[in-house]
Amino acid sequence: MLGRLLKHEFRATARVMLPIYGAVLILAVLANFSFSLIDATDSLFLHILFIFFIVVFFIGVVGSFVLTVVVMVSRFYRNLLKNQGYLMHTLPVTVHGHLWSKLIVSLVWFFATAVFILIVFLLTGLIQTNTGIGDILSNFPSWAEVKEFLAESGFLGQGVLMTAELAVIVLVEALVTCLHFYAAMSLGHACAKSKVLMSIVFFVAISVVFSILENVCVIGFIAADAFDSIEHLSAGLGAALGIQIIEGAALYIASYLGLKKGLNLE
Amino acid sequence: MPILECKELGKRFGGVSALDGVTLAVEPGRVVGLLGPNGSGKTTLLKLANGLLTPTAGEILINGERPGVGTKAVVSYLPDREYLPDWMTAKQLMDLFCDFYADFDRERAREMLARLGIADTMHIKQMSKGTREKVQLIMVMSRRALLYLLDEPIGGVDPATRDYILETIIRNYNPEAAVVISTHLIADVEQVLDEVIFIRDGRIMLQSSVDAIREEKGMSVDQYFREVFKC
Repeated sequence: MLGRLLKHEFRATARVMLPIYGAVLILAVLANFSFSLIDATDSLFLHILFIFFIVVFFIGVVGSFVLTVVVMVSRFYRNLLKNQGYLMHTLPVTVHGHLWSKLIVSLVWFFATAVFILIVFLLTGLIQTNTGIGDILSNFPSWAEVKEFLAESGFLGQGVLMTAELAVIVLVEALVTCLHFYAAMSLGHACAKSKVLMSIVFFVAISVVFSILENVCVIGFIAADAFDSIEHLSAGLGAALGIQIIEGAALYIASYLGLKKGLNLE
Repeated sequence: MPILECKELGKRFGGVSALDGVTLAVEPGRVVGLLGPNGSGKTTLLKLANGLLTPTAGEILINGERPGVGTKAVVSYLPDREYLPDWMTAKQLMDLFCDFYADFDRERAREMLARLGIADTMHIKQMSKGTREKVQLIMVMSRRALLYLLDEPIGGVDPATRDYILETIIRNYNPEAAVVISTHLIADVEQVLDEVIFIRDGRIMLQSSVDAIREEKGMSVDQYFREVFKC
Protein backbone atom coordinates (compact mmCIF):
# COMPACT_ATOMS: atom_id res chain seq x y z
CA MET A 1 0.00 0.00 0.00
CA LEU A 2 2.97 2.36 0.53
CA GLY A 3 3.54 2.49 -3.24
CA ARG A 4 -0.07 3.54 -3.82
CA LEU A 5 0.09 6.15 -1.07
CA LEU A 6 3.28 7.53 -2.62
CA LYS A 7 1.63 7.70 -6.05
CA HIS A 8 -1.28 9.76 -4.73
CA GLU A 9 0.98 11.84 -2.49
CA PHE A 10 3.21 12.79 -5.44
CA ARG A 11 0.14 13.57 -7.53
CA ALA A 12 -1.23 15.85 -4.81
CA THR A 13 2.04 17.68 -4.12
CA ALA A 14 3.29 17.95 -7.71
CA ARG A 15 0.33 20.15 -8.59
CA VAL A 16 1.70 22.71 -6.11
CA MET A 17 5.45 22.16 -6.45
CA LEU A 18 5.75 22.17 -10.25
CA PRO A 19 4.11 25.61 -10.63
CA ILE A 20 6.53 26.91 -7.95
CA TYR A 21 9.47 25.63 -10.03
CA GLY A 22 7.87 27.13 -13.12
CA ALA A 23 7.57 30.52 -11.41
CA VAL A 24 11.23 30.42 -10.29
CA LEU A 25 12.26 29.54 -13.84
CA ILE A 26 10.36 32.55 -15.23
CA LEU A 27 11.99 34.77 -12.59
CA ALA A 28 15.39 33.30 -13.55
CA VAL A 29 14.81 34.17 -17.23
CA LEU A 30 13.78 37.73 -16.29
CA ALA A 31 16.79 38.05 -13.98
CA ASN A 32 19.12 36.84 -16.74
CA PHE A 33 17.75 39.41 -19.15
CA SER A 34 18.14 42.03 -16.47
CA PHE A 35 21.76 41.01 -15.75
CA SER A 36 22.55 41.17 -19.46
CA LEU A 37 20.80 44.46 -20.23
CA ILE A 38 21.36 46.47 -17.07
CA ASP A 39 24.63 47.98 -18.32
CA ALA A 40 23.29 48.60 -21.83
CA THR A 41 20.71 51.20 -20.81
CA ASP A 42 20.81 54.72 -19.38
CA SER A 43 17.15 54.74 -18.43
CA LEU A 44 16.60 55.04 -14.69
CA PHE A 45 13.24 53.32 -15.03
CA LEU A 46 14.80 50.29 -16.77
CA HIS A 47 17.61 50.19 -14.18
CA ILE A 48 15.05 50.06 -11.39
CA LEU A 49 13.02 47.47 -13.29
CA PHE A 50 16.06 45.24 -13.88
CA ILE A 51 17.17 45.49 -10.25
CA PHE A 52 13.60 44.69 -9.23
CA PHE A 53 13.64 41.52 -11.40
CA ILE A 54 17.00 40.44 -9.96
CA VAL A 55 15.84 40.99 -6.36
CA VAL A 56 12.56 39.18 -7.02
CA PHE A 57 14.53 36.26 -8.49
CA PHE A 58 16.56 35.90 -5.29
CA ILE A 59 13.40 36.24 -3.19
CA GLY A 60 11.85 33.54 -5.40
CA VAL A 61 14.82 31.24 -4.78
CA VAL A 62 14.53 31.62 -1.01
CA GLY A 63 10.74 31.47 -1.31
CA SER A 64 10.87 28.15 -3.15
CA PHE A 65 12.66 26.58 -0.16
CA VAL A 66 10.21 28.15 2.27
CA LEU A 67 7.25 27.02 0.16
CA THR A 68 8.61 23.46 0.04
CA VAL A 69 8.46 23.38 3.83
CA VAL A 70 5.02 25.05 3.82
CA VAL A 71 3.71 22.43 1.36
CA MET A 72 5.13 19.64 3.56
CA VAL A 73 3.45 21.04 6.69
CA SER A 74 0.13 21.99 5.12
CA ARG A 75 -0.17 18.67 3.28
CA PHE A 76 0.16 16.75 6.56
CA TYR A 77 -2.25 19.09 8.34
CA ARG A 78 -4.95 19.19 5.68
CA ASN A 79 -4.66 15.59 4.55
CA LEU A 80 -4.48 13.83 7.91
CA LEU A 81 -5.84 16.22 10.53
CA LYS A 82 -8.66 18.13 8.80
CA ASN A 83 -11.66 16.96 6.74
CA GLN A 84 -9.58 14.89 4.29
CA GLY A 85 -8.50 12.88 7.34
CA TYR A 86 -11.93 11.20 7.20
CA LEU A 87 -10.90 9.77 3.85
CA MET A 88 -7.26 9.02 4.60
CA HIS A 89 -7.75 7.41 8.01
CA THR A 90 -10.50 5.12 6.70
CA LEU A 91 -8.30 3.75 3.90
CA PRO A 92 -7.03 0.25 4.73
CA VAL A 93 -3.55 1.61 5.45
CA THR A 94 -1.48 1.65 8.63
CA VAL A 95 -0.42 4.84 10.38
CA HIS A 96 3.17 3.86 9.53
CA GLY A 97 2.18 3.89 5.85
CA HIS A 98 0.75 7.40 6.16
CA LEU A 99 3.82 8.69 8.00
CA TRP A 100 6.36 7.15 5.64
CA SER A 101 4.54 8.28 2.52
CA LYS A 102 4.52 11.86 3.81
CA LEU A 103 8.17 11.64 4.91
CA ILE A 104 9.46 10.15 1.66
CA VAL A 105 7.57 12.59 -0.55
CA SER A 106 8.68 15.59 1.56
CA LEU A 107 12.28 14.38 1.38
CA VAL A 108 12.09 13.99 -2.39
CA TRP A 109 10.73 17.54 -2.79
CA PHE A 110 13.37 19.01 -0.45
CA PHE A 111 16.12 17.51 -2.57
CA ALA A 112 14.34 18.24 -5.84
CA THR A 113 14.11 21.92 -4.81
CA ALA A 114 17.80 21.98 -3.84
CA VAL A 115 18.87 20.36 -7.14
CA PHE A 116 16.52 22.60 -9.14
CA ILE A 117 17.90 25.79 -7.55
CA LEU A 118 21.46 24.54 -8.09
CA ILE A 119 20.73 23.98 -11.78
CA VAL A 120 19.06 27.40 -12.10
CA PHE A 121 22.12 29.10 -10.56
CA LEU A 122 24.48 27.02 -12.68
CA LEU A 123 22.64 27.96 -15.87
CA THR A 124 22.52 31.61 -14.79
CA GLY A 125 26.29 31.49 -14.17
CA LEU A 126 26.93 29.88 -17.55
CA ILE A 127 24.77 32.42 -19.37
CA GLN A 128 26.27 35.42 -17.60
CA THR A 129 29.87 34.28 -18.16
CA ASN A 130 29.19 33.14 -21.72
CA THR A 131 30.47 29.68 -20.80
CA GLY A 132 29.33 26.60 -22.69
CA ILE A 133 28.74 23.27 -20.95
CA GLY A 134 31.44 21.85 -23.29
CA ASP A 135 33.97 24.32 -21.81
CA ILE A 136 33.25 23.03 -18.31
CA LEU A 137 33.41 19.38 -19.31
CA SER A 138 36.71 19.85 -21.17
CA ASN A 139 38.25 21.48 -18.07
CA PHE A 140 36.85 18.86 -15.71
CA PRO A 141 39.59 16.66 -14.17
CA SER A 142 39.59 12.94 -15.01
CA TRP A 143 38.63 10.40 -12.33
CA ALA A 144 42.31 9.31 -12.13
CA GLU A 145 43.34 12.91 -11.39
CA VAL A 146 40.60 13.24 -8.76
CA LYS A 147 41.77 10.02 -7.09
CA GLU A 148 45.37 11.17 -7.13
CA PHE A 149 44.39 14.52 -5.60
CA LEU A 150 42.34 12.81 -2.88
CA ALA A 151 45.17 10.41 -2.07
CA GLU A 152 47.75 13.23 -1.89
CA SER A 153 45.52 15.43 0.27
CA GLY A 154 45.03 12.58 2.75
CA PHE A 155 41.27 12.83 2.22
CA LEU A 156 40.77 9.12 1.57
CA GLY A 157 40.00 7.19 4.74
CA GLN A 158 38.69 9.57 7.41
CA GLY A 159 37.73 12.19 4.80
CA VAL A 160 35.52 9.80 2.88
CA LEU A 161 33.98 8.57 6.11
CA MET A 162 33.26 12.16 7.18
CA THR A 163 31.70 13.00 3.82
CA ALA A 164 29.48 9.93 4.08
CA GLU A 165 28.57 10.92 7.64
CA LEU A 166 27.73 14.46 6.54
CA ALA A 167 25.53 13.14 3.72
CA VAL A 168 23.65 10.87 6.12
CA ILE A 169 23.37 13.74 8.65
CA VAL A 170 21.77 15.98 6.00
CA LEU A 171 19.33 13.20 5.08
CA VAL A 172 18.43 12.43 8.70
CA GLU A 173 18.18 16.15 9.53
CA ALA A 174 15.63 16.57 6.74
CA LEU A 175 13.62 13.67 8.18
CA VAL A 176 13.91 15.07 11.72
CA THR A 177 12.70 18.48 10.49
CA CYS A 178 9.60 16.89 8.94
CA LEU A 179 8.97 14.74 12.01
CA HIS A 180 9.32 17.78 14.29
CA PHE A 181 6.33 19.36 12.51
CA TYR A 182 4.42 16.07 12.28
CA ALA A 183 4.86 15.22 15.96
CA ALA A 184 3.84 18.72 17.08
CA MET A 185 0.72 18.68 14.88
CA SER A 186 -0.24 15.09 15.78
CA LEU A 187 0.08 15.74 19.52
CA GLY A 188 -1.58 19.17 19.27
CA HIS A 189 -4.55 17.72 17.40
CA ALA A 190 -4.94 14.94 19.97
CA CYS A 191 -5.95 17.68 22.42
CA ALA A 192 -9.66 18.35 22.93
CA LYS A 193 -9.48 22.12 22.33
CA SER A 194 -7.25 24.79 20.71
CA LYS A 195 -5.60 22.21 18.48
CA VAL A 196 -3.56 24.64 16.38
CA LEU A 197 -2.38 26.56 19.44
CA MET A 198 -1.44 23.29 21.16
CA SER A 199 0.48 22.22 18.03
CA ILE A 200 2.55 25.43 18.30
CA VAL A 201 3.08 24.80 22.02
CA PHE A 202 4.30 21.24 21.29
CA PHE A 203 6.55 22.53 18.50
CA VAL A 204 8.22 25.04 20.81
CA ALA A 205 8.46 22.53 23.68
CA ILE A 206 10.14 19.94 21.44
CA SER A 207 12.54 22.62 20.12
CA VAL A 208 13.52 23.63 23.66
CA VAL A 209 14.09 20.03 24.84
CA PHE A 210 16.15 19.13 21.76
CA SER A 211 18.12 22.35 21.94
CA ILE A 212 19.10 21.58 25.56
CA LEU A 213 20.05 18.01 24.61
CA GLU A 214 22.15 19.17 21.64
CA ASN A 215 23.92 21.89 23.65
CA VAL A 216 24.82 19.44 26.40
CA CYS A 217 26.30 17.13 23.75
CA VAL A 218 28.29 19.94 22.10
CA ILE A 219 29.72 20.94 25.48
CA GLY A 220 30.63 17.27 26.00
CA PHE A 221 32.41 17.16 22.61
CA ILE A 222 34.39 20.31 23.40
CA ALA A 223 35.34 18.95 26.82
CA ALA A 224 36.53 15.74 25.17
CA ASP A 225 38.64 17.67 22.60
CA ALA A 226 36.50 16.22 19.81
CA PHE A 227 37.51 18.93 17.34
CA ASP A 228 41.31 18.59 17.71
CA SER A 229 41.85 16.04 14.92
CA ILE A 230 40.07 14.67 11.87
CA GLU A 231 39.64 11.28 13.61
CA HIS A 232 37.96 12.90 16.62
CA LEU A 233 35.87 15.08 14.32
CA SER A 234 34.65 12.03 12.45
CA ALA A 235 33.75 10.33 15.74
CA GLY A 236 31.99 13.57 16.79
CA LEU A 237 29.92 13.57 13.59
CA GLY A 238 29.03 9.93 14.27
CA ALA A 239 27.82 10.93 17.74
CA ALA A 240 25.84 13.87 16.28
CA LEU A 241 24.21 11.45 13.86
CA GLY A 242 23.37 9.17 16.78
CA ILE A 243 21.67 12.05 18.59
CA GLN A 244 19.72 12.94 15.44
CA ILE A 245 18.55 9.36 15.08
CA ILE A 246 17.39 9.30 18.72
CA GLU A 247 15.52 12.59 18.18
CA GLY A 248 14.00 11.29 14.95
CA ALA A 249 12.90 8.04 16.60
CA ALA A 250 11.31 9.94 19.51
CA LEU A 251 9.47 12.26 17.10
CA TYR A 252 8.32 9.34 14.95
CA ILE A 253 6.90 7.53 18.00
CA ALA A 254 5.18 10.75 19.13
CA SER A 255 3.68 11.27 15.64
CA TYR A 256 2.59 7.64 15.48
CA LEU A 257 0.93 7.66 18.90
CA GLY A 258 -0.69 11.04 18.23
CA LEU A 259 -2.32 9.67 15.05
CA LYS A 260 -3.00 6.15 16.29
CA LYS A 261 -4.24 6.73 19.83
CA GLY A 262 -5.01 10.42 19.98
CA LEU A 263 -6.71 11.01 16.63
CA ASN A 264 -9.72 13.25 17.21
CA LEU A 265 -10.90 14.80 13.94
CA GLU A 266 -13.32 17.68 14.31
CA MET B 1 -21.82 -13.46 13.74
CA PRO B 2 -22.82 -9.78 13.99
CA ILE B 3 -21.07 -7.53 11.49
CA LEU B 4 -21.01 -4.73 14.08
CA GLU B 5 -20.87 -5.42 17.79
CA CYS B 6 -20.36 -3.11 20.77
CA LYS B 7 -19.72 -4.45 24.25
CA GLU B 8 -20.02 -1.96 27.12
CA LEU B 9 -18.47 0.61 24.78
CA GLY B 10 -17.54 3.95 26.29
CA LYS B 11 -15.90 7.12 25.05
CA ARG B 12 -15.01 10.14 27.14
CA PHE B 13 -13.60 13.45 25.91
CA GLY B 14 -11.82 14.84 28.95
CA GLY B 15 -14.46 14.87 31.64
CA VAL B 16 -17.39 14.56 29.24
CA SER B 17 -18.91 11.20 28.46
CA ALA B 18 -19.97 10.86 24.80
CA LEU B 19 -20.82 7.17 24.96
CA ASP B 20 -21.46 5.10 28.06
CA GLY B 21 -21.94 1.33 28.30
CA VAL B 22 -23.15 0.91 24.72
CA THR B 23 -23.97 -2.71 23.95
CA LEU B 24 -25.51 -3.59 20.60
CA ALA B 25 -25.22 -5.94 17.66
CA VAL B 26 -26.04 -5.42 13.99
CA GLU B 27 -26.53 -8.51 11.84
CA PRO B 28 -25.69 -8.72 8.11
CA GLY B 29 -28.49 -7.99 5.64
CA ARG B 30 -30.19 -5.38 7.84
CA VAL B 31 -30.75 -1.68 7.22
CA VAL B 32 -30.52 -0.08 10.63
CA GLY B 33 -31.41 3.45 11.64
CA LEU B 34 -29.20 4.91 14.37
CA LEU B 35 -31.62 7.50 15.65
CA GLY B 36 -31.13 10.17 18.23
CA PRO B 37 -31.17 13.92 18.74
CA ASN B 38 -28.13 16.07 17.98
CA GLY B 39 -25.29 15.38 20.39
CA SER B 40 -26.61 11.97 21.40
CA GLY B 41 -23.39 10.11 20.39
CA LYS B 42 -24.30 8.86 16.89
CA THR B 43 -21.25 10.33 15.16
CA THR B 44 -18.94 9.25 17.98
CA LEU B 45 -20.20 5.66 17.63
CA LEU B 46 -19.60 5.67 13.87
CA LYS B 47 -16.15 7.23 14.30
CA LEU B 48 -15.24 4.50 16.79
CA ALA B 49 -16.39 1.85 14.30
CA ASN B 50 -14.07 3.41 11.71
CA GLY B 51 -11.05 3.62 14.00
CA LEU B 52 -11.19 7.44 13.90
CA LEU B 53 -11.45 7.44 17.69
CA THR B 54 -10.17 5.03 20.32
CA PRO B 55 -12.63 3.75 22.98
CA THR B 56 -11.99 4.62 26.60
CA ALA B 57 -14.01 1.60 27.80
CA GLY B 58 -15.34 -1.67 26.41
CA GLU B 59 -14.79 -2.71 22.83
CA ILE B 60 -16.21 -2.40 19.33
CA LEU B 61 -15.87 -5.22 16.81
CA ILE B 62 -16.39 -5.25 13.05
CA ASN B 63 -16.84 -8.76 11.72
CA GLY B 64 -15.23 -9.98 14.96
CA GLU B 65 -12.17 -7.71 14.64
CA ARG B 66 -11.21 -4.49 16.36
CA PRO B 67 -11.09 -1.50 13.96
CA GLY B 68 -7.88 -1.59 11.97
CA VAL B 69 -6.55 -2.11 8.46
CA GLY B 70 -8.57 -5.35 8.07
CA THR B 71 -11.91 -3.80 9.06
CA LYS B 72 -11.35 -0.64 6.99
CA ALA B 73 -11.17 -2.86 3.90
CA VAL B 74 -14.76 -4.02 4.51
CA VAL B 75 -16.39 -0.88 5.95
CA SER B 76 -17.68 1.85 3.65
CA TYR B 77 -18.09 5.10 5.55
CA LEU B 78 -19.82 8.33 4.67
CA PRO B 79 -18.92 11.07 7.17
CA ASP B 80 -21.25 13.94 7.96
CA ARG B 81 -19.11 16.47 6.07
CA GLU B 82 -17.37 17.11 2.76
CA TYR B 83 -14.17 15.11 2.99
CA LEU B 84 -12.95 14.55 -0.55
CA PRO B 85 -9.98 16.62 -1.84
CA ASP B 86 -11.62 19.31 -3.97
CA TRP B 87 -8.71 19.56 -6.44
CA MET B 88 -9.35 16.03 -7.66
CA THR B 89 -11.28 15.17 -10.80
CA ALA B 90 -13.96 12.49 -10.80
CA LYS B 91 -11.49 10.16 -12.54
CA GLN B 92 -8.73 10.79 -9.98
CA LEU B 93 -11.22 10.07 -7.23
CA MET B 94 -12.19 6.76 -8.81
CA ASP B 95 -8.47 5.94 -9.24
CA LEU B 96 -7.96 6.53 -5.54
CA PHE B 97 -10.88 4.33 -4.49
CA CYS B 98 -9.81 1.64 -6.99
CA ASP B 99 -6.23 1.67 -5.68
CA PHE B 100 -7.17 1.22 -2.04
CA TYR B 101 -10.45 -0.70 -1.98
CA ALA B 102 -10.49 -4.10 -3.63
CA ASP B 103 -14.30 -4.05 -3.43
CA PHE B 104 -14.74 -0.78 -5.37
CA ASP B 105 -16.90 -1.22 -8.47
CA ARG B 106 -15.57 1.39 -10.87
CA GLU B 107 -18.12 0.71 -13.59
CA ARG B 108 -20.99 1.19 -11.18
CA ALA B 109 -19.48 4.47 -9.97
CA ARG B 110 -18.91 5.69 -13.51
CA GLU B 111 -22.49 4.86 -14.49
CA MET B 112 -23.94 6.74 -11.52
CA LEU B 113 -21.68 9.74 -12.16
CA ALA B 114 -22.63 9.75 -15.83
CA ARG B 115 -26.31 9.72 -14.87
CA LEU B 116 -25.68 12.92 -12.91
CA GLY B 117 -23.91 14.40 -15.94
CA ILE B 118 -20.50 14.40 -14.24
CA ALA B 119 -17.62 13.99 -16.70
CA ASP B 120 -14.41 12.18 -15.68
CA THR B 121 -12.47 15.41 -16.07
CA MET B 122 -14.73 17.49 -13.83
CA HIS B 123 -13.06 18.77 -10.66
CA ILE B 124 -14.87 18.36 -7.35
CA LYS B 125 -14.50 22.09 -6.67
CA GLN B 126 -16.43 22.80 -9.89
CA MET B 127 -19.47 20.93 -8.55
CA SER B 128 -22.32 22.41 -6.55
CA LYS B 129 -22.61 21.50 -2.85
CA GLY B 130 -25.49 19.11 -3.60
CA THR B 131 -23.57 17.39 -6.41
CA ARG B 132 -20.48 17.00 -4.20
CA GLU B 133 -22.64 15.27 -1.59
CA LYS B 134 -24.05 12.96 -4.25
CA VAL B 135 -20.54 12.17 -5.52
CA GLN B 136 -19.43 11.25 -1.99
CA LEU B 137 -22.41 8.94 -1.65
CA ILE B 138 -21.74 7.38 -5.07
CA MET B 139 -18.15 6.58 -4.08
CA VAL B 140 -19.25 5.04 -0.79
CA MET B 141 -22.11 3.03 -2.29
CA SER B 142 -20.00 1.78 -5.21
CA ARG B 143 -18.10 -0.45 -2.84
CA ARG B 144 -19.21 -4.06 -2.26
CA ALA B 145 -18.59 -3.62 1.46
CA LEU B 146 -19.81 -5.74 4.37
CA LEU B 147 -20.85 -2.75 6.43
CA TYR B 148 -21.98 0.71 5.29
CA LEU B 149 -21.86 3.41 7.94
CA LEU B 150 -23.67 6.52 6.74
CA ASP B 151 -23.54 9.54 9.02
CA GLU B 152 -26.42 11.97 8.41
CA PRO B 153 -26.60 11.22 4.67
CA ILE B 154 -29.80 13.26 4.25
CA GLY B 155 -29.01 16.12 6.60
CA GLY B 156 -29.23 19.59 5.07
CA VAL B 157 -30.32 18.54 1.56
CA ASP B 158 -33.44 19.40 -0.42
CA PRO B 159 -36.30 16.83 -0.68
CA ALA B 160 -35.39 15.83 -4.27
CA THR B 161 -31.78 15.16 -3.27
CA ARG B 162 -33.06 13.30 -0.20
CA ASP B 163 -35.02 10.95 -2.45
CA TYR B 164 -32.00 10.49 -4.72
CA ILE B 165 -29.79 9.64 -1.74
CA LEU B 166 -32.18 7.12 -0.22
CA GLU B 167 -32.78 5.50 -3.61
CA THR B 168 -29.02 5.29 -4.24
CA ILE B 169 -28.49 3.62 -0.87
CA ILE B 170 -31.26 1.07 -1.31
CA ARG B 171 -30.43 0.27 -4.94
CA ASN B 172 -26.71 -0.13 -4.46
CA TYR B 173 -25.89 -1.67 -1.11
CA ASN B 174 -24.59 -5.18 -1.03
CA PRO B 175 -27.60 -7.29 0.10
CA GLU B 176 -25.36 -9.41 2.31
CA ALA B 177 -24.09 -6.32 4.05
CA ALA B 178 -25.54 -4.25 6.86
CA VAL B 179 -26.29 -0.56 6.46
CA VAL B 180 -26.31 1.77 9.45
CA ILE B 181 -27.88 5.16 8.76
CA SER B 182 -27.41 7.76 11.45
CA THR B 183 -30.01 10.52 11.39
CA HIS B 184 -32.54 12.51 13.33
CA LEU B 185 -34.80 12.91 10.24
CA ILE B 186 -36.77 9.77 10.98
CA ALA B 187 -39.86 10.27 8.83
CA ASP B 188 -37.67 10.41 5.71
CA VAL B 189 -35.72 7.21 6.34
CA GLU B 190 -38.37 5.12 8.10
CA GLN B 191 -39.53 3.53 4.85
CA VAL B 192 -36.11 1.96 4.17
CA LEU B 193 -35.31 0.70 7.68
CA ASP B 194 -35.53 -2.87 8.98
CA GLU B 195 -34.38 -2.01 12.47
CA VAL B 196 -33.81 1.01 14.69
CA ILE B 197 -31.48 1.89 17.52
CA PHE B 198 -32.49 4.83 19.72
CA ILE B 199 -29.61 6.63 21.36
CA ARG B 200 -29.69 9.48 23.89
CA ASP B 201 -26.88 11.06 25.91
CA GLY B 202 -24.51 8.32 24.81
CA ARG B 203 -26.73 5.48 26.01
CA ILE B 204 -28.76 3.02 23.97
CA MET B 205 -32.46 3.46 24.77
CA LEU B 206 -33.81 0.78 22.45
CA GLN B 207 -32.89 -1.65 19.69
CA SER B 208 -35.86 -3.12 17.88
CA SER B 209 -37.16 -4.10 14.47
CA VAL B 210 -39.38 -1.54 12.75
CA ASP B 211 -42.18 -4.13 12.45
CA ALA B 212 -42.08 -4.80 16.20
CA ILE B 213 -42.52 -1.10 16.98
CA ARG B 214 -45.44 -0.83 14.57
CA GLU B 215 -47.13 -3.99 15.91
CA GLU B 216 -46.42 -3.60 19.62
CA LYS B 217 -46.71 0.17 19.96
CA GLY B 218 -49.25 0.72 17.22
CA MET B 219 -47.36 3.73 15.89
CA SER B 220 -44.75 4.63 13.31
CA VAL B 221 -41.08 4.86 14.25
CA ASP B 222 -41.28 8.62 13.87
CA GLN B 223 -44.25 8.83 16.28
CA TYR B 224 -42.59 6.48 18.74
CA PHE B 225 -39.32 8.44 18.56
CA ARG B 226 -41.18 11.67 19.34
CA GLU B 227 -42.78 9.97 22.34
CA VAL B 228 -39.52 8.52 23.69
CA PHE B 229 -37.54 11.71 23.17
CA LYS B 230 -40.29 14.14 24.26
CA CYS B 231 -38.69 17.14 26.00
